[in-house]
Amino acid sequence: MQKRSLKNYTLRYLVIAILGIIALWAALFYMYIIEEVYDNIDDGLKDSRLRIMREAEGNPEILRTREYDIARFKITPLPPGDYSRKSHIYNSKMYMPYDDDDEPVRVLQTIFSSGGQEYQLEIYTSTVEEDELLEDLLTALVVLYIALVVSIILINHFILRKAWMPFYRLMEQLRNYKIGGRTSLEPVAANVREFDELYGEISAMVARNEAVYTQQKQFIENASHELQTPLAIAINKLELLMGRDGLSEQNLVQIDEVNRTLQRLKRLNRSLLMLSRIENRQFRPSESIILNELVHQSLTDLEVLSKYKKTVITIDEKGDFIAEMNRDLATVLINNLLKNAIVHNAAGGILDIHISEREIVISNSGKTSLNPEQIFERFYKDEQSENSTGLGLAIVKSIIRLYPALSIDYRFEERHCFVLRKQ
Amino acid sequence: MKILIVEDEHDLIKVMKESLEKETYLVETATDFRSALDKIISFAYDCILLDIMLPGGSGLELLSEIKKLKKQEAVIIISAKDAVDDKVLGLELGADDYLAKPFHLAELNARVKSAIRRRNQNGEQHIGWRNITIDPENRTVQVDKYELVLNRKEFDLLYYFVTNPQRLITKTSIAEYVWGDHTDQADSLDFVYSQIKNLRKKLNNAGADADIQAVYGVGYKII
Repeated sequence: MQKRSLKNYTLRYLVIAILGIIALWAALFYMYIIEEVYDNIDDGLKDSRLRIMREAEGNPEILRTREYDIARFKITPLPPGDYSRKSHIYNSKMYMPYDDDDEPVRVLQTIFSSGGQEYQLEIYTSTVEEDELLEDLLTALVVLYIALVVSIILINHFILRKAWMPFYRLMEQLRNYKIGGRTSLEPVAANVREFDELYGEISAMVARNEAVYTQQKQFIENASHELQTPLAIAINKLELLMGRDGLSEQNLVQIDEVNRTLQRLKRLNRSLLMLSRIENRQFRPSESIILNELVHQSLTDLEVLSKYKKTVITIDEKGDFIAEMNRDLATVLINNLLKNAIVHNAAGGILDIHISEREIVISNSGKTSLNPEQIFERFYKDEQSENSTGLGLAIVKSIIRLYPALSIDYRFEERHCFVLRKQ
Repeated sequence: MKILIVEDEHDLIKVMKESLEKETYLVETATDFRSALDKIISFAYDCILLDIMLPGGSGLELLSEIKKLKKQEAVIIISAKDAVDDKVLGLELGADDYLAKPFHLAELNARVKSAIRRRNQNGEQHIGWRNITIDPENRTVQVDKYELVLNRKEFDLLYYFVTNPQRLITKTSIAEYVWGDHTDQADSLDFVYSQIKNLRKKLNNAGADADIQAVYGVGYKII
């Protein structure tokens, strides 16, 4: 289900509620008004009855008004009998030439006697057209309703937006929040107590998270450090053992297998240590570094490896890629990328390096795309490389994370391409 | 030659001591700051192997003490914490070298020999094995007084063997010493073989008495 914003959520219910309230109010108001109108008209009719009856005393001519005329009443003589003297008022319709239509009228009917003769007196007066009144009322109410809704929307829009501003600011900060990036949120000026509390709670949570994260990082670093000494002891004891005379070939080979496993553990531990030291920001000073030089340096260092794998290396330099970063980290960055391109390459494969002022593209032969989502994750490995630590590209990524001006991307275009870009 | 190992891990002291004694060094040990300082003040050594994290104080403090006493010992810092800062600070304080744990014993030998040789300016500056003489300062090699031309990696390789004569050096150790950290591939050990083959050929052609022997595919040994 599509979620609405709180603003629209309240608005929806307000609009419906107001519709209900206005309808109920309109019904009651209408009944009250009609009541009042009839009351007034009836008073007028009763007054007319009194005047006519009094007039009839002195002027019997009036008693002969048989039809409604300009006088708006008629008097009908009744056969003798016992009649109720009570007045009777009712609604009726009467043809009006003015409108050429039947119009609603209010009629008072009563019986009176004059000179021993019983008469029926009927007085009418034009009354409100209820349907027109209803129509008018409806129009007025629709206008009122629209006015109310529009003003509520406007108030919602402006006042609530203003009131919710601290909330949206907080949201924005949370959206951009990266763990390990910063230790506190910027304070949000809120006139609303709830937002103040929200800010307080979130700040406390961020502080707690950061503390736990720092501890975690520290733990990894300490654990890696603590592992170094036992590793050193184990490796060195094996080396001493291998140096002894009188070991059979089988024994020696077996000891060496253990030794190699420990070497792998050593490399893994070193990489982990490197990673946590990068993330703990232990590489401080930055300088302007021309990465072109590092690429050449690194290729020289990796020459044995590339010669062994018969990698065909081409370099195309269109400009100097200069980055503001720590020299050690820059070296590790370039080294890991190039080593990755040589190691995870077919024998006799291609390694192309394109350097311009804005980007360095390192591409090497490969058959299928790697998962771009996971390639920079720790311990991501493709099937063939059981001996790699799976941390080389994770180290690359964590170095890049230290420098917001740099970015690294992987794409597959017939070859594996790693693009180091400057923003 | 006397060496002092300052290290709080008894097991590690034991292996280092055994390994160095094979090279006929006289090895003494200290396991905390206080006893280390006592020994440094009271005796003269050729080389001190110094752990940074010690009970009772830091190895770096000890290093400043050594320098204050104007002692001539070569100092190699050995630390599990291969933090760049420690390394830089240690070298600035006057340490001769820095070795990160875990290390290979062959590498420790090579480093100790280099450090002692560099300290000992008036003494023998060349190291040799049989009729091979290496001048580490100028990176030159002579066989029976005749110059043997080696490339950079071959020189490093020969130097590693000559500083560890008649000792088995594993392939992983060789790969790491000569090519550094770029050797985390299984097949990387195969190129150790081709490099050693080249070196052997050159030594042979130059008429060296020494030979580099393969030990069951595990490593090599110069004899």
